[in-house]
Amino acid sequence: MTAQTTTPTSEPDLTVQLGPLALAHPLLNASGTYDVLETAAHYEGDAVATFPFAAYVPKTVTLEPRIGNPPPRVTETPSGVINSVGLANPGLAHFLDELPLLARLPVPLIVSVGGAQPADYVTVVRRIEETVDAAPAGALPPVSAYELNVSCPNVTTGLAVGTDAVATAALVAALRQVTKRFLIVKLTPNVTDISAIARAAVTAGADAVSLVNTFKGLVLEAQTLRPFLGGKTGGVSGPAIKPLALRLVAEVAAAVNVPIIGMGGIASGHDVLEFIACGATAVAIGTANFAGLGTAARILGELRDEMRARGLTALAEVRGAALVGE
Amino acid sequence: MDADSPLRDSSSHMGSPETASGQPDSRHSASPEEGTGASRQGAGPRARELQGRVVAVRHYGTYTLVSVAAPQIAQRARPGQFVMVGVPGGAFPLRRPFSIHSATNSDIRLLIEPRGRGSALLAEVVVGERLDLAGPLGNGFPLTDVSTAVLVGGGIGVAPLQFVAEALRADGVPVLAALGFRDAGQARLLGALTLDDTWIATEDGSLGRHGTVVALLDAIKPPAPATLYTCGPRPMIDAVVAWAAAHRLAGFASLEAHMACGTGACQGCVVATRSGYRRVCVDGPVFAFADLVPSEARE
Repeated sequence: MTAQTTTPTSEPDLTVQLGPLALAHPLLNASGTYDVLETAAHYEGDAVATFPFAAYVPKTVTLEPRIGNPPPRVTETPSGVINSVGLANPGLAHFLDELPLLARLPVPLIVSVGGAQPADYVTVVRRIEETVDAAPAGALPPVSAYELNVSCPNVTTGLAVGTDAVATAALVAALRQVTKRFLIVKLTPNVTDISAIARAAVTAGADAVSLVNTFKGLVLEAQTLRPFLGGKTGGVSGPAIKPLALRLVAEVAAAVNVPIIGMGGIASGHDVLEFIACGATAVAIGTANFAGLGTAARILGELRDEMRARGLTALAEVRGAALVGE
Repeated sequence: MDADSPLRDSSSHMGSPETASGQPDSRHSASPEEGTGASRQGAGPRARELQGRVVAVRHYGTYTLVSVAAPQIAQRARPGQFVMVGVPGGAFPLRRPFSIHSATNSDIRLLIEPRGRGSALLAEVVVGERLDLAGPLGNGFPLTDVSTAVLVGGGIGVAPLQFVAEALRADGVPVLAALGFRDAGQARLLGALTLDDTWIATEDGSLGRHGTVVALLDAIKPPAPATLYTCGPRPMIDAVVAWAAAHRLAGFASLEAHMACGTGACQGCVVATRSGYRRVCVDGPVFAFADLVPSEARE
């Protein structure tokens, strides 16, 4: 109320448009690292209504239940985590049974789909389409997108798809026949030329790509010098892989003209800006969720502070900044 | 088995009007009361995340007993439950799970064994430091219908048994303890315990009986229908389970596992049971002896 007016610091605009999805901010959860229903079951408060990410990506669903790999399945590595869960999930029928529990979710739902063979992906997506489209308004959460998990390093089947451009294109083309919804392909970093896979996916009709899934790795038991994990090898995630992921995101951003969901070791607001500077439209938080349920809110706060400190009003102002001159 | 446990949380999110019909949920099959929305005993989801201030630290050999002011966890904690604890400094991506050793109205106590660099840092916390906590988590030990309790602990596995003893003694249940250690050095853990009728064995014979807790059980000859409560290295648990089966006694074991989320999301901490892989974090950490698959029988 002084006569002297200072320019009010405007709040940075954190919204992003991911294809048809208008997101309140760029943070998604990485599949398999945050389960809103488990959180609601075990923690005080209403985890569904206060869901902290801008979209919800549940654990990858497969047609049949999968028991997953033998334990041990997870351990810490230097600045990271290695896991060999093996897509353990209760299967599509259970997923559909549980879907009404997500009806109150205040954000878009992105269904992560996995499969042993291409026909399984098609069946899963078709049955989700039928179920969601037949449901009365409000009974089920609106399914906004699918993320095709063709990149889990811990299953012997299905892995081949994401490492082969032709197989990836065939899978995307088959799914394009059964859904008009936003179709994201999650890419594995365990390939020689990730851009070739990304281009194949986009040419076949993918609306976006997400990357990276975990890097295949090996941890030994200290005494026996044998593989520690029950599944022998596992997938490495966490801060240790961030530089590797940034390089791949930048490379794919230069190769395709669709939105990118970047992920790989994001643990701070600054990390988010880096992925966006490498061309990502949105990002996913995975391993950092294991530090606590408040991770998303903390990173979002840091991102807001970082944008304010840099005088940024929108994320678009830095998107692709790292690609200039490449 | 935690299906019989009165200790499970009910889940209020599943009690909302549109879900009150109760969807079948294999992930919650261990606790039928969960997911029905019918149980309204005021339980509800109980865990929370908070920062707790370290108010006391005591060292017993290489072990550390840390008291943390966390009333909202302490007042809800039940024997056999655990907390996830962040390693100070933020350099370690995973929190560490610790059994709740005991709880007052305001504090929880955790017994910490320095195993790796993360737990070593936690074992060095000082009064006044703040720890990131999540809890109480997990199902806890069933404590009803117990005529005599025998606590069987090995090494750091004694940690959750103090809480069991306190709860059962308050109910007037006779409590015996059979505790095994590698040697007298590890047996300094006894300083962190206040148990009445305690039998001790060490593997090297440097304290108490020379041998294992199974030898102690043979000596104690627990009266049927005693209930066994155990925690310790997996080979010890398997031996105790076999001993209990031979003597037709029931019991419950608290298992440990490498854990990432501690919240049921990541499927990382599973253990093989008669009903398939179950998550130690939310389906356990306590499992009935009858539900366990011995280590050597596993793949």
